[in-house]
Amino acid sequence: MKSEILYPGAFPMVRVELSEGEHIKAESGAMVACSPTIDIESKMEGGFLGALSRKFLTGEKFFFQTLRASRGAGEALLAPTVPGEIVILELDGVNEYMVQKDGFLAGADGIAIDSQMQSMSRGLLGGEGFFILKMSGKGMLVLNSFGAIHKIELKPSQEYIVDNSHLVAWSATTSYNIEKATSGWVASFTSGEGFVCRFRGPGVVYIQSRNPRGFGSWVRQFLPVSE
Amino acid sequence: MADTAPNALCFGDGFPASGVPCVVHVDGHGLTMTFLHDVHGAESGSDSVPFSDMNVSAGGLDHDQLVVKWGRSAEQRILYLKNHDVIRAFRQAAPPHLSSPLERAAEQVRQVRKRHRMVWSVVGGSLLALVLGLWFGSDVLVELAVDRIPIEWERKLGESAYRDFLGGQEVVQEGPAVAAVEEMTRRLAGQIPDTLYRFDVTVVKSDVVNAFALPGGYVVVFTGLMKKAERPEEVAGVLAHELNHVLQRHGLERIVKQLGFIAVASIIFGNQQGLGQMMKQLGVELMTLKFGRAQETEADLTGLQLLYRAKIDPSGMITFFERLAEKDEGRVELLSTHPMSGSRAERLKAELAAMPKVIPEPFAFEWAKIRTSLGVPISIGP
Repeated sequence: MKSEILYPGAFPMVRVELSEGEHIKAESGAMVACSPTIDIESKMEGGFLGALSRKFLTGEKFFFQTLRASRGAGEALLAPTVPGEIVILELDGVNEYMVQKDGFLAGADGIAIDSQMQSMSRGLLGGEGFFILKMSGKGMLVLNSFGAIHKIELKPSQEYIVDNSHLVAWSATTSYNIEKATSGWVASFTSGEGFVCRFRGPGVVYIQSRNPRGFGSWVRQFLPVSE
Repeated sequence: MADTAPNALCFGDGFPASGVPCVVHVDGHGLTMTFLHDVHGAESGSDSVPFSDMNVSAGGLDHDQLVVKWGRSAEQRILYLKNHDVIRAFRQAAPPHLSSPLERAAEQVRQVRKRHRMVWSVVGGSLLALVLGLWFGSDVLVELAVDRIPIEWERKLGESAYRDFLGGQEVVQEGPAVAAVEEMTRRLAGQIPDTLYRFDVTVVKSDVVNAFALPGGYVVVFTGLMKKAERPEEVAGVLAHELNHVLQRHGLERIVKQLGFIAVASIIFGNQQGLGQMMKQLGVELMTLKFGRAQETEADLTGLQLLYRAKIDPSGMITFFERLAEKDEGRVELLSTHPMSGSRAERLKAELAAMPKVIPEPFAFEWAKIRTSLGVPISIGP
């Protein structure tokens, strides 16, 4: 399985080359085009209950699509719904990533996707909800973002502060606390940041350069108000 | 042969920030790390670390990884272990100087898990309590809402249903049966002090052995009931029961319950006028309303007390239920909105036994004549 990012930047696609018999799973609706040798199947990843919990707990889709090169080698082009960069990670069986609910685009068959419960403070204030996706296993993992993806590398004990709406994925060896952006409550909110996540290394944190929620409320002001 | 699947991540100066996967083996002296690939800055091949050089703690996103550190400054290496087998082997082989930090790390993991569990159980418990509270507390809310509905409004509601019903029925306008029902009503209503209700009782010609009450004090007695009753006290018993449905505002409670929580909330917070509109929209038909079992039992007991105060022999009510009980065979009480007539009679008997004795005053009319006027053939005693 080989993968390549086409048109890097705001409107990228991933080309995944599959040998005969290989398959990948992708977010429902991710396929843009593919070779005629590729079959598209719909699958409840993790079984019915797994899919159900993913749907209701993390807001991810109930079905994933599986692209299978069942009739010979071929390629598939995948793209996310929102404009933004794509990043390809290689999981080796030991490193695990937590991914915010809209961050998953595609993954090799060896990648396990679970919904994991967060602590109450992280769930309430982290901006990612009470349940996030945990990616483990082995193989290629494709994540997408809103805006550009920036990788923050944290050495052991190194700290970094990230606005909670800008998170895409972070490795399970990091830890983070939710805190107010400034020391005062009023200033925290008037500064426009509210709560932030203080990450502590070692590990990697992927952030997106745009805040989807912020963009949503910006667009809303231009929408005509219906009666 | 060593296991070649990586089971730990190693971090250190010059290592990638995401860590270097490695295979860790624990033995009696310490651990051996084997890097599978040449990593820039990391020693390729194997590296052994004695227990004496190590520090341990808990780490990772959920504090569920064992973090082993050794070396100083630029030479420092940090190992994140998540594999349960490796952690277990480590704990078993670790010398005494590591046991207390290991225990601290384990305690930290337990604390984190305990805190998570506690917080989630408190949240889950509160949600459950809220749901149960709304479920079982709905009666209290309904009563609260019903208390806020003015009687005039209730009468308007009952009156329109009453007129609609009577429009299609043969009403007995006058005669001994009407006079008898009027006397019963007068005696019973006379014992309800300070009531804002005025009772309109109508006799309707029908073979149905029943009577019913509408909100606001509108009561219908079918001639079938009067024909079936062997004594006037039996009819008076049913009448007392129906009057108490009115007094306890059972009809309104059912309406509010059927309309649901939004209606309750809007009534409590002041919008009583909207209820009529809402009822029209939801198509709640007053005539099809069934009282609940608790309401029936309440009307039975208060009806019994009313009969007692009016000096009407309460045993009439009991014998009437006993007669109905003969028809109940095969019904299951739990599935029914009405309590079984047999058990109703038993409950009333027990209640009556607890009341002081009173000498009943007979009615002014002669029951046999009234039944004859309704077409019941004169029965000749055995």
